[in-house]
Amino acid sequence: MGAAAGETSGAVNRSGMNNVWSIVLASAIVYGALTVFMAVIPGTVLSRTKPTPGTHPLTAQESRGRDVYVGEGCAYCHSQVVRPLRQDLVFGRPSVAGDYAYSTPELLSDHRNGPDLTNIGTRQPSATWQYIHLWNPRAVVAGSIMPRYPWLFELKSKSAPNDVVVTVPPSYAPSNGAAIVATDDARALVAYLKALKQVPLGKGGAGK
Amino acid sequence: MRIEPRPHGPFRTRRRVSVSVELLRDNVEPEDIALLSSFTLTATFWLLFATAVGLLLSFKFPYPDWAASPYLSFGRLRAIHTNDTFYGWASIALTGAALYVGSRTSGIPIAGKRLAWLGLIGFNLAAVLGTITLDLGINYGDQEYREWVWWIRLILVAAIALSGAALVKTVAERVERDIYISNWYTIGGFVFTIILSVAALLPQYQFGLGQVAVQGFFMHNAVGMWFTFLALGVTYYALPKLLNRPIYSYALGVLGFWTNLVFYPIIGAHHFEFTPLPWWFQTLAIVFSVGMLVPVWAGSGNFFLTMRGHWETIRRSYALPFIVVGVAYYFLGSTQGTIEAFRSLQSIWHFTNFTIGHSHATMYGFITFIAWGAIYALLPRATGKQPSALATGLHFWLATIGVTAYVLALSVAGTLQGLTWAAGDPFISSVDAADPYWVARAIAGTMMFLAHIIFAYNVFVMTLGPSQESGKWVRQPAKRAAP
Repeated sequence: MGAAAGETSGAVNRSGMNNVWSIVLASAIVYGALTVFMAVIPGTVLSRTKPTPGTHPLTAQESRGRDVYVGEGCAYCHSQVVRPLRQDLVFGRPSVAGDYAYSTPELLSDHRNGPDLTNIGTRQPSATWQYIHLWNPRAVVAGSIMPRYPWLFELKSKSAPNDVVVTVPPSYAPSNGAAIVATDDARALVAYLKALKQVPLGKGGAGK
Repeated sequence: MRIEPRPHGPFRTRRRVSVSVELLRDNVEPEDIALLSSFTLTATFWLLFATAVGLLLSFKFPYPDWAASPYLSFGRLRAIHTNDTFYGWASIALTGAALYVGSRTSGIPIAGKRLAWLGLIGFNLAAVLGTITLDLGINYGDQEYREWVWWIRLILVAAIALSGAALVKTVAERVERDIYISNWYTIGGFVFTIILSVAALLPQYQFGLGQVAVQGFFMHNAVGMWFTFLALGVTYYALPKLLNRPIYSYALGVLGFWTNLVFYPIIGAHHFEFTPLPWWFQTLAIVFSVGMLVPVWAGSGNFFLTMRGHWETIRRSYALPFIVVGVAYYFLGSTQGTIEAFRSLQSIWHFTNFTIGHSHATMYGFITFIAWGAIYALLPRATGKQPSALATGLHFWLATIGVTAYVLALSVAGTLQGLTWAAGDPFISSVDAADPYWVARAIAGTMMFLAHIIFAYNVFVMTLGPSQESGKWVRQPAKRAAP
């Protein structure tokens, strides 16, 4: 600190917005209020949305499958929301607020590197297809860029009676001829995908 | 309007020096040098790590069967890429720069150094734990930029609060007469982000669609109230410092601060257009997305008008070109964000890779380039060690061409995806249409990653490298302690 510092130190201005606490307080008050109005209140109100009639909470197995879906980051490529736009209707009817009543953490997503899965349980009801697709998507969709999920399966030389054995085209099968057996995670995930079904909006429904 | 430098203003002492301003060394305490160096070094580690992950991800588009291990799978690594670039790289780099700028403009060394060190440890701890848990498939939900489980995000909030406290303490104890505009932005950024993070952590109002509303708010504010504010604050210091002239307009800076603060929090729902969120809520977000042109044009205009007529200085500098590109991408990327928010365009571009192009235009073209400009501007002044012009030039051109190619490739890819959907083609045709552009993106990503390796080498030279005190440096006359 030289003489020059002495010149200014006596003249530090701490009035108005030159007081650091004014900046901290003004920022906190304005932003705090906006956070309440734009996040807390809308969040509170929308969290109480009534379920669309006909929707049910997931079963324990489906719920576990949902956890696999979340943990593996499926939502980075698959959305779960159908917009009221013509190009989206291939995936189902437009989504309504009540469809998400049992959906936490939410999985709407803003990515569609793969197709929307809102209604995949109706559009692709085959568990067999889902297992093959999870083992190697290219076994059923030639141009697919979806990752393989081999860790959702076990290779067994001899399968047990209760095992879900997945039969895949020879070129995608293990070279040693082992059986591809779905793990509990895979079975839960497929159960969840099969449960992804939109309920129709009929009379007395949420579309009213 | 034009504010003339005050007789004792922070930029006055440089005015009569004829050598390149970058050859001047700040008079900095050794512990402050250690702080800035440590923030920058760990941030650089996270940049390298997170973009190595990003590069791997980009090659998974053309080669989906490659690296098919759960720990290298797309769904797990993607969140690691985004969170580590956000909270490892950009947060640590800009926090270090903000603390240093706070000290320079206050005329005193960084106050509350222990808070700053703890903050640095917290950021790194959170990033390490977040990376491990995400790779094990443990997360809070596929909620962009808040995938880390709650206790890791709590560590992150603590790190932000501790570093912010060090900055506030520094500015509170200043010997300079006024609080420089940089500190408005950076202090604001810390305050907003603490509030935002706490609001995003509380679960009571985050069920189903309620969580969608909070997520729209969070994901946009994490970018706009944190990185934007820190980057603008640092630019308000680095740009006039390097150009050796005052900022064009202090008033535009203040206008930008308040309009950013009021408009930004309202636009989050534009990430969820045409969803079951209330229609008026989406419309409000679109209206204020247009309002965002005010702070964006005020800020970028202010910077460009400060640069006007000084292109020769910029050409000779190795830090300024990064700031020029950063400001240009701030203007372009944010203006693009406004246009993208219109319903007519969202109906095509939403869900497509156009969004990923936009996020790289802003988080990379804007935020990362400003962080680089700040590091090249501040670090050599603190340590007295400069990187070579060749290495810096290579870094600059690889990164600039890389990110531009990246954004263009994904903008085209996204447009094609949206158009094939609108045409009613089978879904797979959108994959086929985007495929060549994904290859282009992987090549662009490779250029960007090479730039990061050169940058890491430069950071090493500027911090741990051998001393360069051999008459090459012009020691600034120690006439005054500040800034």
